[in-house]
Amino acid sequence: MTERANIYAPFRVTLEKVIDESPLIKTFVFVPEKEFRFKTGEFIELTLDGVGEAPFTPSSSPLVTDRFDVTIMKAGYMTEKMHRLKPGVVLGVRGPYGRGYPLDQFIDKEILILSGGCGLAPIRSLLYMLIDMEDQLRKVVLCYGSKTPEDCVYKNLFSELDRLDKFETMRTVDYADTHWGEHVGVATVLLDHVKVDLPNAVAVVCGPPVMMKYGTMKLLEIGFPDHDIYLSMEKNMSCGLGKCGHCMMGRYFVCRDGPVFTYDEIKDQPDIW
Amino acid sequence: MGKYYQLGKDAWDDALSGLTCDHRVYAPLVHGESQDYELIDKDLVRKIVYNVPKPSTPLKIFLLPVKENVSAGVPKNVPVIILGVPGCDLFALDLLDAFYLDEEYPDLYYAQRRQEFLLIGTDCHFSDAHCHCTSYGLNPYPSKNQDMGVSLINDKVWLSVYTEKGGDLLKKIQDITPLRFFGEDVPAEMEDIRQKVRKEIEANNRRLPNYQETTHVVMNAAYEKWERHVERCVSCGACAAICPTCTCFLLIDRQGFEKIRQLDACQYPGFERVAGGEDPLKKMDKRFRNRYFCKYLYRPEKYEAIACTGCGRCITACIGDINKNELLTELTNDG
Repeated sequence: MTERANIYAPFRVTLEKVIDESPLIKTFVFVPEKEFRFKTGEFIELTLDGVGEAPFTPSSSPLVTDRFDVTIMKAGYMTEKMHRLKPGVVLGVRGPYGRGYPLDQFIDKEILILSGGCGLAPIRSLLYMLIDMEDQLRKVVLCYGSKTPEDCVYKNLFSELDRLDKFETMRTVDYADTHWGEHVGVATVLLDHVKVDLPNAVAVVCGPPVMMKYGTMKLLEIGFPDHDIYLSMEKNMSCGLGKCGHCMMGRYFVCRDGPVFTYDEIKDQPDIW
Repeated sequence: MGKYYQLGKDAWDDALSGLTCDHRVYAPLVHGESQDYELIDKDLVRKIVYNVPKPSTPLKIFLLPVKENVSAGVPKNVPVIILGVPGCDLFALDLLDAFYLDEEYPDLYYAQRRQEFLLIGTDCHFSDAHCHCTSYGLNPYPSKNQDMGVSLINDKVWLSVYTEKGGDLLKKIQDITPLRFFGEDVPAEMEDIRQKVRKEIEANNRRLPNYQETTHVVMNAAYEKWERHVERCVSCGACAAICPTCTCFLLIDRQGFEKIRQLDACQYPGFERVAGGEDPLKKMDKRFRNRYFCKYLYRPEKYEAIACTGCGRCITACIGDINKNELLTELTNDG
């Protein structure tokens, strides 16, 4: 029994680089002390020594194992401190945990992705995997919304994707400036411009709770069946081990049974949004 | 099935005094109108009360201390004996084990204590306020998860042995004092008391729905019912702290990447709040309802263990005088 690892003990990672994505969002590049493997959509518990621990889904490619990215929005006590970090600092990581995106379910499908704000972080990791398996997919459409053009993250990602045959991107902002030449309005408006082959399509949604809710409603309206809508749920995943109870969503522990669920799995649970 | 042995009370006290030299022995002592575990030394051995219902502290507190540093190595414990554990608390270990000994992520701190601690169960010879174990298919006597059993009947001590660990302790006791072997059947006088107490608890809870009925009642109760019953709740979390099956905890960070595991309660404000401020259990009535959903719906659905043993401690502990059994009876009658 004693040879088992201590489930509460983090391993160490060194912060290599900080990339400013938007006024409130930064990407942190970490070098782990040992090879780090994760599946897209799984999450980690990141410890800022003596300050706290919080769950994040890596935003980099799972195919890279000697470093990984975490994209973080300044939203609370710990993320505020994270944003002040300089390269060289050592942090702790537990995980990866949870159930990520079921890539085998996406084979031979059209994938419609709806994302907003910092919700593009887990999606970027998924996109890297979808690029890797492009020849097994029909089409990938990324619909992304942010508050303003300045708040739009991964600005180069969209042009990179647009260069690929099977990828197509659309962006919208709540508040446009004079240079903005794309859509204006909340993220869900982009779904009005998408043409999907419903029997051969799945939808992936990741963003703020309000977008998740109305995005899902819109996808149902379009005709997506409950089991073809994949939602990455944001809850207070504290231990990551299915024990501490903070991320309970009805019968589920989001940290262990999720964070990726189909709408079919969670629609009958209370207070999902 | 156990093996039953008998010895005189004085001989037992002498044996137990001997055991306190190289074991940490916890057993119930009387405190006012209730009883609770205390660390027993030679002078306290004769003050131990036997066959009393639930001690105020649930067994889980020995296995999951309220606050524990879970970064340091797993501490090596002095051998521990917990004596006088009622059947309800032993039954509760099924759910704690499912959580903390699970194959993928075992908690080494819990696992070590579970492996090392020797548990001596006891029959309840009377029922306490709010005891309702029989409503949930349990009995007022242990039927699992004990290494040994102890009962005091007519100034004679009955010991029973169930595990290898219990057998080893019995040998130590035999080294101190002779024991009389009585076979593997429950002694008749013990069985008589068991049935008497069982009937007493059943009679006290005739109107209470059983576990399956409670699940149904809780699932189907109108939301307004919870809103009305929560009026006296102050979110103190005493019901969770005192509950033998509540498992939730908070991980606290300390300098040096240390983690502290501290028992927590879903009744506290902010329990499920995320960094952006969203909180599915922000309203107190949702937290209140969540506790009942967890106990009677979510846990039994996910684990092969029940999440309420009918000990009734939460009713005693509630400073708002919320009586879970009255609430469930009312919801049943309304339905």
